[in-house]
This record gives sequence, structure tokens and C-alpha cells, in this order.
Amino acid sequence: MAPAEHVRNLAALAAAAVVLALLPNHLSLYLRSFLLFLMMSVVLALSWNIISGFTGYTSFGHVAFYGIGAYACAILVADYGWPWPATLVVGAATAAAVGAAIGYPVLRLRGPYFAIAMLGTAEGTRVVATVWDGLTHGGLGISLPSAETSIPTYHAMLALMVVTVVVAYAVGHSRLGIRLTAIREDEVAAEALGIDTTRYKLAAFTLSAVFPAVAGGIQAYKVLYIDPPSVFFVQITIAMALMAMLGGKGTVIGPILGAVILYTAQELTWVNFPTAHLIAYGLFIVLVARFMPRGLVGFAIDRGWLRKGMVR
Amino acid sequence: MREEAGARGREAGELPDALVAAPGAPAARRGPGPGGWRERPDVRSLYRLAAFLAAAYALPFAVGAWAGTVRLDAAWLAGLATVVLGGVMQGGVYAMFAVGLTLIFGVMRIINAAHGEMVMMGAYLTWVAFFAFGVDPLLSLALTLPLAFLFGMAVQRLLLDAAVGAPELTGLLITFGLGLVMIYTAELLFTTDFRTIPYAPGTVVLAPGVAVGQNRVISFLMAVGISTAVYLVLRFSRLGKAVRATALNAEVALVCGIDVRRIYLLTTGLAAALAVAGGALVSIQFGFNPETGVVYTLQAFAIIVLGGRGHYVGALIGAVMLGVLEALVSLLVPNGTAMVELAAYALLIAVLLIRPGGLMGVREG
Repeated sequence: MAPAEHVRNLAALAAAAVVLALLPNHLSLYLRSFLLFLMMSVVLALSWNIISGFTGYTSFGHVAFYGIGAYACAILVADYGWPWPATLVVGAATAAAVGAAIGYPVLRLRGPYFAIAMLGTAEGTRVVATVWDGLTHGGLGISLPSAETSIPTYHAMLALMVVTVVVAYAVGHSRLGIRLTAIREDEVAAEALGIDTTRYKLAAFTLSAVFPAVAGGIQAYKVLYIDPPSVFFVQITIAMALMAMLGGKGTVIGPILGAVILYTAQELTWVNFPTAHLIAYGLFIVLVARFMPRGLVGFAIDRGWLRKGMVR
Repeated sequence: MREEAGARGREAGELPDALVAAPGAPAARRGPGPGGWRERPDVRSLYRLAAFLAAAYALPFAVGAWAGTVRLDAAWLAGLATVVLGGVMQGGVYAMFAVGLTLIFGVMRIINAAHGEMVMMGAYLTWVAFFAFGVDPLLSLALTLPLAFLFGMAVQRLLLDAAVGAPELTGLLITFGLGLVMIYTAELLFTTDFRTIPYAPGTVVLAPGVAVGQNRVISFLMAVGISTAVYLVLRFSRLGKAVRATALNAEVALVCGIDVRRIYLLTTGLAAALAVAGGALVSIQFGFNPETGVVYTLQAFAIIVLGGRGHYVGALIGAVMLGVLEALVSLLVPNGTAMVELAAYALLIAVLLIRPGGLMGVREG
């Protein structure tokens, strides 16, 4: 891709960021939090995509990192009185350490076994968070000291989203991204070409653990109350996978598109059909997976509306 | 069990698996990980798994001794015997969850993430039959199993046929979505209240101080009966042979004149029926609500991985082993009832790492 195209893409991102940064004071509380969670969806979908889209190692347990970040923030703010932004760094570092420790053994598994092992990991973290009540207050959850947090969390989430998009874009266009894609296409062949597959998979996995942790920390400070079932909610992982898949996994624009569409649709159905919206959501998952496994981007490429190189 | 599969086997002139595989099967698919032959199921990993399992069973005792719950007098030993027996019985119910999952996985390489929800559906079907029509929970199986079979066939035709041979994410997401639809439909119909069926409340005394609930004995016997019947069908009938041939290699089975799509249809039907039977057994012993299915799915996963994915007898053994381990944890470890769930996940991940082929050393990934 020509450098001019990079400049154009980054300029578009910067313009979007400026508009989003100016908005919150003019918005109602509801719209502000809607946008915050929309941006969070983009972050989650993109970071899931770094490991699962590029390398094809489908993680069904990324919510573990989100929960770790949320707990790091809540514990440090509520029990130790830390300033809030510092807790995000701790959350990110913890998630990276846990990600590396879990990824090292688990990334040796392939296909469905990796997916199941990650699902088990996430459920295991949830049980640990419930049982270890000396640290986490167990099933009671943690309440944070109340404060007006909707503006700072909005800006933090926006900053996080911009960083995530830039990192995902950089990964997609770097040698790292090409190596990861090579692992997805044929791991043995990639290894035979001299790619240290374990190292790159682990790097991608650890990287993809960091952003959900920060997002979890921001979300905890926004909502001011967390408990194990809410931050280790399996459906958060499924939403990450589904958003990336709806847009087109293994691309950068795909997960962004998927997150925006899916989160908006979810919000609309939730508002309009409070009882049946989860049924509709399940049905939607089934339909997307059944009829559009390569996502909107794949759909557009098949029809010649997009060139393959345009969406990396 | 072939000893020392791998480098030494190759030196001895034995063909590596990749070469004797069916044409078109990429060599990379044969080994479970990038480590190649080192991770192939072999005797060493079986020893390691056995050592891990021994440690896993010893751990609750060690924790119990440390926490002072182990006493070694007659009453405590009788309590232990009761709990272990209860674990074995629980294993029978788990077996009903796991064999359906292992069948679908073995034949189609799809992990049915909605399996626990099918169990939950079975529990509700039994509950409706009992309270709305007054049908005995065991008799109602005659009605609910055919229904479940049809349901499974519909799921296969409409949804899973598209996922056979597709990347694993497709099948996982389709079945997960199906599970969500089932959970929330059940919530709409029955609310999230816990339901139980009062059934056979007496106890059976086996020795002084050792007693189990009558309902548990009945459901254990049912589980043994049903899983034996399915085993015999798979082992000896022409249909069972066709199912096993499809599991071994669908392409070759097709060439040999087996209608593979029909086998898929019957497999999922059978798996759904087994799950519903499991649900009936759950309903006469435990409380259930629409959201309990998720735990069943994970337990069933852990069991089939422990036994060896797609291995029928392995699933039965794994089920009993998980049942006993959970029973020990809940008896001996302080705060054990919350820790029980952890047993299945720890087992799952450890087995995947130590010996991905499980106890039975299933080869193909």
C-alpha cells in the first residue's frame, strides 16, 4: 500500500477522533454512555481480532482479560485509594502477564481445543474471582466510591480506541501481521520458512490481552460496581467474536464495522423488545455464522466492491 | 498402544502417520500441536496423565487433612464412602451429557455448544410432562426422546450441515447462538425460577452409614442402561458401523456407499435424544433453571477431553472420574461447593496440555 494511503487512513481516524472528542458535552447522558460502550465494542472486537482474526486461533475466553482489568481497577480504587488512571496500567500489566502465562501452554493447542481451553480459562478466572473473597470481595462484588465519571471515562475510552485502531492497523501492515497470517494459512509451512511461530503467536496473544483489560478498567470506573458474573460474562467474548466475524475477521476495518453495526442493533432491539431481545440476538448469531461466515468485508470482496488489499 | 511413537519408530522403519494418512489429509492436521511428534499420544504422556490424575485425587485429601476435615474414624469413612458412591452415580448422569457431545464431535468434528441447553430442554420437557399431564418422569421418556430426536435432526439439517468441514468458529458460533435462543425461550416460557420434580424421595442403605437417594440409584441405572444400549448399537449394528466409519473418514465412507448426510442426521438426532434423557435424569434429582445448561456443557467438554474426544467408552470413564473428583472436592475442601466448578476446568486444561488425546489417546486432531 502506498504511503499516501496510510496518511489518508490515519487522517480519517484523526478526524473521527476529534469529532468524538468534542461531542460529549453536547450529548445527553444516555447518548454519552451509548457512544462509550460503542467505542468499547470496537476496542474489544479489534483486540480479539489480533489473535483470532490474524492467526486463526479462535479465543473463546478473552473476557478473562476484561475481567482482570475491571477487578484491578475496582480493587485498587476502592480498597487502596489509588488514582484511577494508574489502575489501568496495573490492569494492563496484569493482563499481559496472565496472558503470557496462559498463552504459553495453551497456544500449543489448535482449533477447537484452543477455543475450549480458553472458554475453560475464562470460567476458571470467574470462579477464582468468586472464591478468593479476601482480594475480590467474592460474590458480593465491589462498589467504587461514587463520582461523576461519565466524561473522563468517555475520553479515556476514546483514547484507548484510537490506540487500539492504530496498533491493529500497524500490526496488519507490518511484517508481524504477515507472519501471523502465514501462521493462520499453514502453520507448519510458516515454521518451515523460519518463522518462530510460538514467539509470534504469544506476542499477538499478549498484545490482544492488554486492550480488553484497559477497557474493563474504564468500564468498572464508569459503572462503579462490578461482580464476577457481570465482568466475566461469557457473552462478552461471544460478542467480540461475533462483531469481528460480522465485519470480516482478519481485517482492520471489519471488526470496527461489525462492532458499530452489532452494538447499535443490540441497543435498538434491547430498547424496543426488552424481553425477546436476547432471543433475537441468539438468532442473529446463528444467521451470521450460518450465512455470512466471512463477514461483510468478505461478502463485498466476493462481489468485487472491494479489493482485498484495501481492507487489511 | 504403540510404544515410543515418533523419532525412534521412524528409525525402526515404521511409516510416520503423515504418510499413511488418507490422501489429501494434510500432515499438519495429524499432530495436535506445532511440536509435531513429541505431542503425539504415547506411553509417556499416559504416565504423565496418570500421575496428574493421582495428584488431582490426592489434592482434596491433602487440603482436607490441612483444614482438619479428614478424621479417619468409622463415621467419617462411612461419609466418604457415601460421597464417593454419590460421585459415581453423578458420573452416570454426566455420562448422559457427554456421550451425545462426543458423538457429534467424533462424527462431524463440531463442538455442540448448545449441548447443555439440550439437557436443560430435556429437564423442562420432563417437568411439563409431570406437572401438566401427570406422566411419570421415566415413562415420559417414551414421548420426549422421539421429540428430541426430531429436534436434533432439524438442527442438523437447518444449521449444522453448513458447519461440517467449515472452520471451527462457524460451528461454535452457530451452536452457541442456538443455545442462547433456547435459554431465553425457556426463560420466556418458564421464568428463571428453579424447578424440581419430587420423585422417589426414599434412600437405599447399602451398609451401616452408607446410603444414597433412591432417585439417584434409579437415574444411575437408567444411565447405565441407556449408554449400554447405545454402545451395543454402535458396536454391533450395521448402522453403528456406518456411524463409526463416517467418524473415521467421511470421504472414504461416502465412497463405500454410506449416505454420510443421513448419518449426520441420525447422529445429531441421537445426540439430542441422549441429552434430553440426561435432562430427565437431572430433573428428578436437582433443581434446574434455564441457565444451568452452560455448566453442563463445560462439564461435558471436560469429560470428553479427559476420555478422548469422540471416544464413546472414554466418555463413560471420564464421566465417572469427574463425578468422583467433584464429590471429593465438595466433601473435603473448605468452601468446596464453590470450588467444585473449578475441578472440571482444571481437569480440562490440564488434560489438554498433558495429553490432548485423553485417556484413550485419540490420535486425530
